[in-house]
Amino acid sequence: MRTMDDYEMDPAEQEFWLAQVARLVDELDPVPPGLVERSQFAIAIEDIDAEVELEAARWADQRPLVGVRGGAPGTITFFVGDLTVMVNVTRTGERQRIDGWLVPAGEHGVEVRVADHGSTATTADEGGRFVLTEVPRGTTQILVRMNGGKPRTVVTPTVEL
Amino acid sequence: MTELHTARTNPPWEGLEGSERHAACVIAAREGHKEALDVLVAELTPLVWHIARGTGLERAAAEDVVQTVWLALVRHVDKVTEPKAVAGWLITTTRREANRTRQRGSAQVELSPEVAEHVPSTEPQPEAEALRTERDHRLWSAFHRLDQRCQELLRLTVLAGRAEYRAVAEAMRMPHGSIGPTRGRCLNSLRALYDDGDGGR
Repeated sequence: MRTMDDYEMDPAEQEFWLAQVARLVDELDPVPPGLVERSQFAIAIEDIDAEVELEAARWADQRPLVGVRGGAPGTITFFVGDLTVMVNVTRTGERQRIDGWLVPAGEHGVEVRVADHGSTATTADEGGRFVLTEVPRGTTQILVRMNGGKPRTVVTPTVEL
Repeated sequence: MTELHTARTNPPWEGLEGSERHAACVIAAREGHKEALDVLVAELTPLVWHIARGTGLERAAAEDVVQTVWLALVRHVDKVTEPKAVAGWLITTTRREANRTRQRGSAQVELSPEVAEHVPSTEPQPEAEALRTERDHRLWSAFHRLDQRCQELLRLTVLAGRAEYRAVAEAMRMPHGSIGPTRGRCLNSLRALYDDGDGGR
């Protein structure tokens, strides 16, 4: 077995190993299909207001519920700073119903955008609960428009629902 | 509607390449040109993806990081002080965001020693079923035993060597076609780890 510092590679051998890395980059670990389009959808948010702070939320680690990310209904959670949003998705025929709960509670605006289907909006009640029915399925992004205090809008990465 | 927004006008980045092109996109995006952001996303998502994956994130988590980084650019497009250096800004932002995600992941999925023992590997998974041959498995495994700095450097070196990622080479201050001593050491390590895969050849 040789050690890594045994000798300098000649340029041809460097090229060979670089080509191996290129194979890994292009074939073994390619950019997921559709990621560019999903990213473009995620940032195509209307009415971005310079006065309103935009915050990107993170989906909580869903490892125990990995199926959810694959499209099966269930509960998912996202959060940013002190805000946590729990979302429960139930199939209703071709469409679905979204029950959500904002913590801390507040009468904030909630918008659900679905790629190629426009968006559905509602306002959470004083307990932080909101319901959206007849939401189309597809690449989905959730926005929470926080009122009270400094206005800010929380947006999630897309999820396939 | 201003002239800038009409579809028939040639966009300001047209005909430009590398960091000049991306700078023109950043400046146009500041002026509300939405298509400019789409161009950046289309052309630089591979860069953001490979940085995120280079930190060891799983594919689903890396996808979220990619989108979060693009949302961050939308939010901070006025604060990118050097539009020509947007590729560098993306590299830095992606590393930070990926590390934040990783830290959160490990904090939440603290495994007990008994459980951890049965978890086969922390090696991130490739594209499903991408590893078709023994050679693929050895390459994947060898690459992921490199230190993270080498993994990122080699992924970026591959991108930077391509005409469409000239901006990456510029962000890395890397003359075209050069490998450099650090990259050379990383390739040496890769070869040694690959050869170790079956006890040397």
